[in-house]
Amino acid sequence: MILYDYILSPDAYKIRLMAALVGVKLELRAVDVHPGREHESEALRALNPAGSIPILIDGDLILTESAAMLVCLARLAAPAWLGGNDVADAARIQQWLAFSLRLTDHLGGARATEMLVEPGDLPALQAAGTIDLRELEAALTERRIIGQTFLVADRPTIADIACFPYVALAPDGGLSLDPYPSIRLWMRAIRMLPGFIEMPGIHRLHELKPEPVSQLPETV
Amino acid sequence: MPVETLRDWIPVALSADLPPATVIPAHTPSGILALWRSASGKLTALADRCPHRGMRLSYGFVRGEALSCIYHGWSYGLTGQCQRIPVHPELIPPAAIKAASYAVEERNGVIWIAFEQPETPPPALEGFKPLRSITLNTDAERITATGEMRVLLAGIDVLLLIVGIGVGETLAHVMVDAAASDVDCIAVSRAVEGWRRECEQLGLEELAS
Repeated sequence: MILYDYILSPDAYKIRLMAALVGVKLELRAVDVHPGREHESEALRALNPAGSIPILIDGDLILTESAAMLVCLARLAAPAWLGGNDVADAARIQQWLAFSLRLTDHLGGARATEMLVEPGDLPALQAAGTIDLRELEAALTERRIIGQTFLVADRPTIADIACFPYVALAPDGGLSLDPYPSIRLWMRAIRMLPGFIEMPGIHRLHELKPEPVSQLPETV
Repeated sequence: MPVETLRDWIPVALSADLPPATVIPAHTPSGILALWRSASGKLTALADRCPHRGMRLSYGFVRGEALSCIYHGWSYGLTGQCQRIPVHPELIPPAAIKAASYAVEERNGVIWIAFEQPETPPPALEGFKPLRSITLNTDAERITATGEMRVLLAGIDVLLLIVGIGVGETLAHVMVDAAASDVDCIAVSRAVEGWRRECEQLGLEELAS
């Protein structure tokens, strides 16, 4: 599987993270998005006319939407990440995958405007992003009331991975996560998953590693 | 519970939102503190500034009984005293390297801090249990003058602890009737969203008039 990748893209990170969590090896092709705008080159437009990153290629299958890539990786390597079979769970997964596009538009838009200096109406994007974060916080709070940690099932699913990166990077768009205790605990649970990997701006939990010991040679 | 003196207790978070071995930024009317719980469950409230380079300690991490700064790993114990400087493993940090610490107490699932040791414990809030903390984009004075209000949400008795934490920013800790079921709690949690929208709308209308 080939992933056309960009280290600072939260959508590309979703796929790298999912692959790491389910143990799929990806062949990464780094795309020079900034400053080269290589994603808009003819070679990449031939794969993805929209000119967006990431692109996942598996034989004849060319995917340009991260939600579809998450489904692909889960079906291939770890179906438990698709949640249970009942109607409500299946629908909730789709609800959160679609919701994650709102996060891309609003939180991602605010981040691109604030950090990558792309044109955008920052206050409007932040206001829309706040509504999204409040909706997510309310949903996660309800999950906690019934003793659950993740969005859909009693285990992490692709819904969690689809929503996690843009939420974790919301401060890049000028939106603090301080007002959202349930989101904080949910992000912590995701970062504690075995196989979790980082991206710039989303670091691992240092406390999970033992205290580093000095490697200095003993003095004689 | 209006916060008037340094000795007044300020509700800053719910116990359930700060599990063992975690740190959070606790917003107060006078700024942010690094509030952390050690692996064994002990609470500490420190000035949110590493004495080394000024990095926010609430960005750090808790390992065992110490809070470590995310920047260079200087770690601080339950009193705020620096215990370890990783780049100088043999050094015992001087007593002067200490983060200011504040009174902190936990009662009935609510964590309270005070800038100077109060004479009495924080209120017990008997008959209620904590549900959730929310932030409102409006001034606390527009909601209540006393810092505490009783309301009926989704037919359930609710106690709101209200703290202004900045201009146009208010923290509300939502307590529900201790007898409320999970179904009741979810109903109140949803009703609180509506209450927040109402408060923020009223604030906007007041500003416009």
